[in-house]
Amino acid sequence: METSLATLEQKAVGKKEADLAAWLRDRGPVAVGFSGGVDSAYLAVFARRTLGRDAVLAIIGRSPSYPAEQWATARGVAAAFDVPVLELDTDELHDPAYASNPSNRCYFCKTELWTRLVPAAGARGFLTVVDGTNADDLSDHRPGAVAAREHAVASPLADLGFSKTDIRAASRSLGLPTWQQPSSPCLSSRIPYGTPVTRERLALIERAEYALRALGIEGDLRVRYHDDLARVELAPAALSCWLQAERLTELRDAVVRVGFERVALDLRGFRSGSLNVLSGVSPE
Amino acid sequence: MTGSPMRIDESGHDVVALARAVTALGLSCAIEARGKLVLLLPAPESLARLAETETRRATLSLAREHGFTHVAIELPNDRRRAPADPDAPVLRD
Repeated sequence: METSLATLEQKAVGKKEADLAAWLRDRGPVAVGFSGGVDSAYLAVFARRTLGRDAVLAIIGRSPSYPAEQWATARGVAAAFDVPVLELDTDELHDPAYASNPSNRCYFCKTELWTRLVPAAGARGFLTVVDGTNADDLSDHRPGAVAAREHAVASPLADLGFSKTDIRAASRSLGLPTWQQPSSPCLSSRIPYGTPVTRERLALIERAEYALRALGIEGDLRVRYHDDLARVELAPAALSCWLQAERLTELRDAVVRVGFERVALDLRGFRSGSLNVLSGVSPE
Repeated sequence: MTGSPMRIDESGHDVVALARAVTALGLSCAIEARGKLVLLLPAPESLARLAETETRRATLSLAREHGFTHVAIELPNDRRRAPADPDAPVLRD
């Protein structure tokens, strides 16, 4: 029974991949907004395999809100799968509308990203620009999607019905190291709406998460910024281990060392969009 | 609440009732509310109980009943005044 279900799922993903290949051939060459996350890595590598090296350009937008670890992953995937890369700096922190951290912050970030990326792609002959938005994203609070539409950026994975599970399965088939990588949104997503985003706060969050990874924490991990307090979210399966006094002390000391005064471990564990719930933007 | 003073903010959530409910569950914790986030500072024996899945579920359920969407466990930080390390490593180059 399980085998049959797995086979059916594979066939469904195979059909979506055939549709994606046709979509890309119709519209290529394509530039991919490339973060090195699960979705954009899959899309860039699949496009590279479908269209060939000269018809794909993966473009990385670098800024203080982009985790350095993710940047390293993006470069590694591009090198391993021979995907041409262009790197651009973005400057969303200098936009007061972004830095004040409203609930539609992602709109201003993506506006900055696409304002730089789309012309850069066009200047190199890439008139179709795509992002890695998937079908699951459509049900979430995603103001950044509006900016993508305003800049005529297409989301073929979402349009063709690829779920995150589909993309992980397809990534595994392609041999992508990102297939089981946790989702990794920008560092600003760790700061509650209404609390200004600053370079210093982003660096503090990044240092704290790096320090926790150094303790051996794998899988989902977020350090949520609450002024003097870091609220750490771990994968629920890891909680029983890290709630042991000795381990919790280790966790607290690691985060205090990088600059937080207080550290707390979230009792429910990692939740995508946790701060959306806390601020009332999304229901629990 | 048992053990140490309760810290209450102006969130309007029912932190006093939550403190009573947590105590009735057999946990000894100081409690601090920050909007819809509640922080528990447990005594050592209560921390050990919170490592159990069932106790966590019950605590989360109580918090939800009293208007809180997030619960986090804090250990006291004896080194709050220690200088931060601005050179702590990250991968950024």
